[in-house]
Amino acid sequence: MASFRVACGLRRGCSKRFVSTDPVPRLSTAEIAQMRNELFSKEKERQLSLYPRIEKIEVKYVGTSHPGTLFIMNKGLSTPYTCAMHLSEWHCKKSVLALVDGNLWDMYRPLTQSCEIQFLTFKDEDPEEVNKAYWRSCAMILGCVLEQAFKDEYLVTLVRAPEVPVVSGAFCYDVILDSRLNAWTPTEENLRSFTKEVHKLIYKDLPFEILDVDVKVALEIFQHNQYKLDAVKQKASQNSEGIVQLHRFGDFIDVSEGPHIPRTSFCGQYEVTAAHNLESRQSELIRRVQGLSLPVQLKLHHAVWHRLLERSQKLVNEDKRKEMKNENEVSKTESV
Amino acid sequence: MRLSAAAWISHGRLRRRLGYGPRSRLDLLRNLLTGLVRHERIEAPRARLDEMRFYAEHLIDYAKRGDTDPKAMNMANFWLTEKDLIHKLFKVLAPRFQAHAGNYTRMLQIPNRTTIDRAKMAVIEYKGNPFPPLPIPRRDSGKTLVNQLLKGYKDDVFRTKGAQLQEGHVGTAV
Repeated sequence: MASFRVACGLRRGCSKRFVSTDPVPRLSTAEIAQMRNELFSKEKERQLSLYPRIEKIEVKYVGTSHPGTLFIMNKGLSTPYTCAMHLSEWHCKKSVLALVDGNLWDMYRPLTQSCEIQFLTFKDEDPEEVNKAYWRSCAMILGCVLEQAFKDEYLVTLVRAPEVPVVSGAFCYDVILDSRLNAWTPTEENLRSFTKEVHKLIYKDLPFEILDVDVKVALEIFQHNQYKLDAVKQKASQNSEGIVQLHRFGDFIDVSEGPHIPRTSFCGQYEVTAAHNLESRQSELIRRVQGLSLPVQLKLHHAVWHRLLERSQKLVNEDKRKEMKNENEVSKTESV
Repeated sequence: MRLSAAAWISHGRLRRRLGYGPRSRLDLLRNLLTGLVRHERIEAPRARLDEMRFYAEHLIDYAKRGDTDPKAMNMANFWLTEKDLIHKLFKVLAPRFQAHAGNYTRMLQIPNRTTIDRAKMAVIEYKGNPFPPLPIPRRDSGKTLVNQLLKGYKDDVFRTKGAQLQEGHVGTAV
């Protein structure tokens, strides 16, 4: 039955796609965003209504600060953030991610069962996962700005946000702009206006919402974007139950590669630094827009910051280790 | 080391005012120092310990001259109000620090006093004491976001420099 549903969804997604590429009834970016938001909100309400009666769960805090703390929380409603609120303001402000039974957990993701909880911050002994989440969120903010910054007449198609290691010096988002803009190269002022838009979002202090949805719903949400559809299908094929994780902040929705920071106000310094044209086999010109950012908790002297900015203008590539791994796997399968 | 201009330009104010006057100041510091020599690790307001630290270090310097030196004995007699500690100073502490030159003490801040005046508190100890080690605040680990970025930057710089050097070698060889 499930496979039949998926097939239906695929067929529907494809048919919609063909309609959307038709030049006449093309929707503007704002309309698409509104449609996506409505679907997202509907699904969220539906999932909330699955818990009509409030059930209690026991959450044990295993951090260093308050030994032996036990929370009695609401199942499906309480989040790690509500736990942090019971501890102290410090925990609310500094916690970026939670560690629930050893799994990484968003601060605004509801807890579903009794568990042990721990909070992760930027200044931990080994903040690697937190850094990754921060980089991911910064890329997502960049994607949001890229989608909304252009006039309605230009079509902007977001491709994906490649996972770039922090050491490489910049996060990035791949995007395809309207074919009329192929000759356009963004000037420094254009990039600065992107940066301004980003800072508006940061000032708004928007929360990152998380939602686990069925692949069918995800396909419906991203029906106008072929690349996102592919990403959704890939995610669904990796997951045994065909569930796709989506993140939303403000009115921007994206397929998530992992946990995100709780709010946009965690970003302090933020700058969009460069846009590169990628060489690709397809006819469309894929651009990689890059940026550099630091959280509020970690500040940097302006001289060092400007050096890092200069470095972040270089084209970054995806995690080489991951590619190596893939290559190894490929060679293994070949040898087999 | 002077950390800031504000700390450097002290306008002649070289030390804090402690106690009710010069004599009281000396008594106060002397009692603290005697306590330090006896217990080797004490806890007190930060300002007093910060003032006392100078004398604690210099007392060891004098003690290293040996107990036959009249100046050293005079100093020990003045600064240690409990006279049984003079023996400890010359026979225990001075040999311990024979190999070192300065930096005999370690001072760490602890949480503010919660009762009377919420004064800043600190703990001071002579190094090499038999107590379990103090939890020394960790330095910023290399794995924070900023340090990772800087590490990447440094690697880049080294790589470009190395490439330049290699090019130079090739040029000379040809």
